[in-house]
Amino acid sequence: MSDQTTGAVVPAPPSQPKVAAKRRRQLVLELRLDMPLWARGLISVSAALLGLIISAAILALAGVEPSSLLTEFASAVADPQSLRAILNQSAPLILVGIAASIAFRARFWNLGLEGQMIMGGIAATAVSLGGIGSDDARIFLMGLASALAGIAWVAIPLALKFFLKINEIIATLLLNYVAQYALYDLLFGAWKDPVDSFPHSASYSAAERLPVLAGWLQVGMIVAVLLVLLAFWALQISRAGFYLRFIHANAAMADRMGVKTGRIVAAVVVASGAIAGLAGFVIPSGMEGRLTQGFFEGYGFSGVLIAFLAQSNPLAAGVVAVLVATLFVVGQSLQIFYQIPFAMVQLIQAIIVMCVAGADFFVRHRIILQR
Amino acid sequence: MQDFVITWLSSVPSLALPYALASVGLIVSERAGVLSLGAEGLMLVGALAGVGGYILSDGSDLAALSASMIAAGIVSLLFAALVVGLRVNQVIAGLAIVFFCQGLTNLIGTLTGWQNRAIAGMPDLPLGSLENLPIIGPVLFRHDLLVYLLVPVCWAVNRVLNSTNLGFRLRAVGENPAAADAAGISVPGTRILAIVAGAMLIGLAGGYLSVVSAKLWIAGMTSGRGWIAVALVIFARWKPMQALMGAFLFGGIEALIPQLNAAGVKLPQYYLVMTPYLATLAVMIWQALGSRPASEAPAALGQPYVREERP
Repeated sequence: MSDQTTGAVVPAPPSQPKVAAKRRRQLVLELRLDMPLWARGLISVSAALLGLIISAAILALAGVEPSSLLTEFASAVADPQSLRAILNQSAPLILVGIAASIAFRARFWNLGLEGQMIMGGIAATAVSLGGIGSDDARIFLMGLASALAGIAWVAIPLALKFFLKINEIIATLLLNYVAQYALYDLLFGAWKDPVDSFPHSASYSAAERLPVLAGWLQVGMIVAVLLVLLAFWALQISRAGFYLRFIHANAAMADRMGVKTGRIVAAVVVASGAIAGLAGFVIPSGMEGRLTQGFFEGYGFSGVLIAFLAQSNPLAAGVVAVLVATLFVVGQSLQIFYQIPFAMVQLIQAIIVMCVAGADFFVRHRIILQR
Repeated sequence: MQDFVITWLSSVPSLALPYALASVGLIVSERAGVLSLGAEGLMLVGALAGVGGYILSDGSDLAALSASMIAAGIVSLLFAALVVGLRVNQVIAGLAIVFFCQGLTNLIGTLTGWQNRAIAGMPDLPLGSLENLPIIGPVLFRHDLLVYLLVPVCWAVNRVLNSTNLGFRLRAVGENPAAADAAGISVPGTRILAIVAGAMLIGLAGGYLSVVSAKLWIAGMTSGRGWIAVALVIFARWKPMQALMGAFLFGGIEALIPQLNAAGVKLPQYYLVMTPYLATLAVMIWQALGSRPASEAPAALGQPYVREERP
């Protein structure tokens, strides 16, 4: 319509300019080769905010006023007790976030974080119930056992992928169910609490629980932060990390250049399983004080979400994990005060992933209105 | 012994049906090149919508199963928007859909009070005097309507994929989207159609679980059947009739569990429940050890098609 300015006096045939305008003005998609970091960050953060707004709208439909939602969030970060809860909650989330991040760096879809956590929890509890080692050594043995169990559980899909080229997405997910029923078999059977006969293990003794330093800092959090730094060093600074980036970019090329791709990928996946197993120890030992039926629920997806949002960067994963922990704590209080099922937390996370993943389109493409 | 075999065989079809419908639905979308990991979630949506439709329509089976299909179709539009429209990584989008559906169905089921609410559900439809035939009567003719329709439906999907223009276009998009695009086939349009059509079959599989089998909605009631269906598609080499056979194999394994229990075999209960997952892994291993090339996957499976990025 803009080209009508010249022909204002002579009226053109009615249909012609329309067609011309249609042909001239169209939306064209162009690949964007590069985008400044701040702009990418801005797009991702706005997408995450959009996800939160959509979630708030769903919660409003479910009967939670947006204003009381804000109060809930504000009190979660202002109240010292709930800050401690967030810190406690952060430790296992950081661990699963790192476990997922490093596996994704090796292009191994470790969706079996929950299975590895369960096996870790089972192994740690076995050490506790068996009374293995002295009281001083017990907690270290439990941590070690959980990491080894996580490794054993991730070794199955790893071997299946290496030797038989079996898709690890399916294998790790199926093994989650196997681990879950093994846990139920123990908790509803041999390990049932002798005190109250509920399907959870007997309480850990004081020596088997992760200590809390200075009244607020749980040791699990220290372990998690140390692992963040270690993972950051291993992935971003060490030589192995450089090889891993090479493998991530082009595995066949790396292989021909003499990089021991198989060994590096296997080592990374094993580390991922060990960290996930450790997360399965930190929850019973640091939070619940015993092995429960559902202690692992939701952590598998949260780990994947954290790794995705952090783009597999360990430092970013640590930060995102704390935000997800805040969401968990707010979700728990919504459950108590508004009877909103905890599944809402999962829903919110899924919506945020969709928004951020979708927004990536605008990072990779430029939409131009061609005239 | 004969009784054992007859009760076992007659319980196979209704256990096989969800696997069959879900994997055939997956095949439809995967043949168009879209890896639908969201099956587990879409089945949950179908299951909840089925119970919801049944309750809201005061007990109409048709309304219940239509609700399953439509609800799963609607959710799959979201998936289509992500992977076809916004070109999101299909694994990430599929996983996000599963968790989205898990959260959403759990939330809606709790808020509406449909959770754990028993319904009368869809009754069996014995086929006249055929059901009284010895042995094959109970095994073949004492089932619900959907079981009778299962083989025709799978056959029809197979036929559409392999012998119709629509099927050719769909497979062209899955094998070589650039060539299909050059031939004037709309890649996004075909893919969206395949995603939604496949999702409706997957939703129906979920609706069958809640409306016909369990006659109840429980959060997370599909318990991994969607993932098993994903594995089944690989096992069936993306062919609907083979998926149907595979589904009967898995249904047969699952049907053994209560039978063994009833026959007094003393095995820990939770280890019996593990069998479908272990059997799936075993089948994948067996197939990988086989001599035939493991992959006959559609060539463009999992790859987003972007015309501007065409080589």
